[in-house]
Amino acid sequence: MEDPPRAPAHNPFFRFVHAVQNTIDRPVTWFRESVVTPNRPDHVYYHQKFRRVPTIDQCYTDDPVCRFEAQQQFNRDKLVDGEIVQLVRQRLKECIAYEIPDQDRKCAKLKEEFDKVSESFCMKYADLGPYNNVKDAYMKQKHRMLWERRHGKVGTGMKIEE
Amino acid sequence: MAAFSTLLKSFVRNANLVKNGAAVSNNLLRPNTSTALEAVRKMSGHEMMHIKPSRWSWNRFKDLLNFYVMLGVIPATVVITYINLFIGPAKLAEIPEGYVPEVHEYYAHPITRWMTKHVKKSYQQEYEVMCQHIYETDYARKLRLAEKRVHQKMQEKQDSQAYYYEPVTGRNERHIKSMLERSVENVGTR
Repeated sequence: MEDPPRAPAHNPFFRFVHAVQNTIDRPVTWFRESVVTPNRPDHVYYHQKFRRVPTIDQCYTDDPVCRFEAQQQFNRDKLVDGEIVQLVRQRLKECIAYEIPDQDRKCAKLKEEFDKVSESFCMKYADLGPYNNVKDAYMKQKHRMLWERRHGKVGTGMKIEE
Repeated sequence: MAAFSTLLKSFVRNANLVKNGAAVSNNLLRPNTSTALEAVRKMSGHEMMHIKPSRWSWNRFKDLLNFYVMLGVIPATVVITYINLFIGPAKLAEIPEGYVPEVHEYYAHPITRWMTKHVKKSYQQEYEVMCQHIYETDYARKLRLAEKRVHQKMQEKQDSQAYYYEPVTGRNERHIKSMLERSVENVGTR
């Protein structure tokens, strides 16, 4: 959470601006570095890693505990995948904001990446309704595979029975 | 100065005030129209008593509100400032090999850590309790289904001597007997 170091100002205007900023910054920084930081204990925190449990397709139909665990894993994976999509989207947005008006040309790769990531996210999690259910997601996959078997890849149109 | 107050007192003795026997209702609504008295009254350097409704309840309310709010606000501010300055949030680190962190080591702020350590139930605890609960209720459900199937078969085939056997325990009878004995002690008869 440290601020990036400021470039030295040779310009009198920027020297003045920096001086004004320092009237508040210097005392606060001094207080923090001399009074606060030495007295703090060094403690750390970790990010929790969860063990992988059998997914819904490996559970027996009459085993509700396995289903519960698969559901919890599905919820956690959904959060993680959501964050991944957010990160990729944030990268694309920053690129666009920086490169306007050239964004079509310069951010094309990022846009392609984002499209792919959001497509895979939606293939897995979207259109399931408000109450997410690991069994519904599994059935969605099964229906998609059946549809692809009959009609070809999703996006190429439905084949009409002759 | 003393001369003026004696002058004022003589005027007050004859004025239309409550203490001189005038009616209360008239006194407040109808101002004292004696201009000489008014002029003399305004000349005095003493504090006047302003006749107005009592603000005692409102002042007491403000006092109490202030007191009870500060009773919470001041200790909370002191404690939270101390914690944020001198203990401070934790830094993120990789989990070392072969080490299983405690639950409270997954959070950054010291107050959150304290709450997870002493107040809150951990995710793992709730998860495992839920797993056990699901297992038990599913077990009971399966037993009930099996019993139902057995009853159905007995009904269909009519070949069993069991006659929908109801299991009886002696527990209830023993309890009733002990209650009867106690009531005999208390009342004298059954």
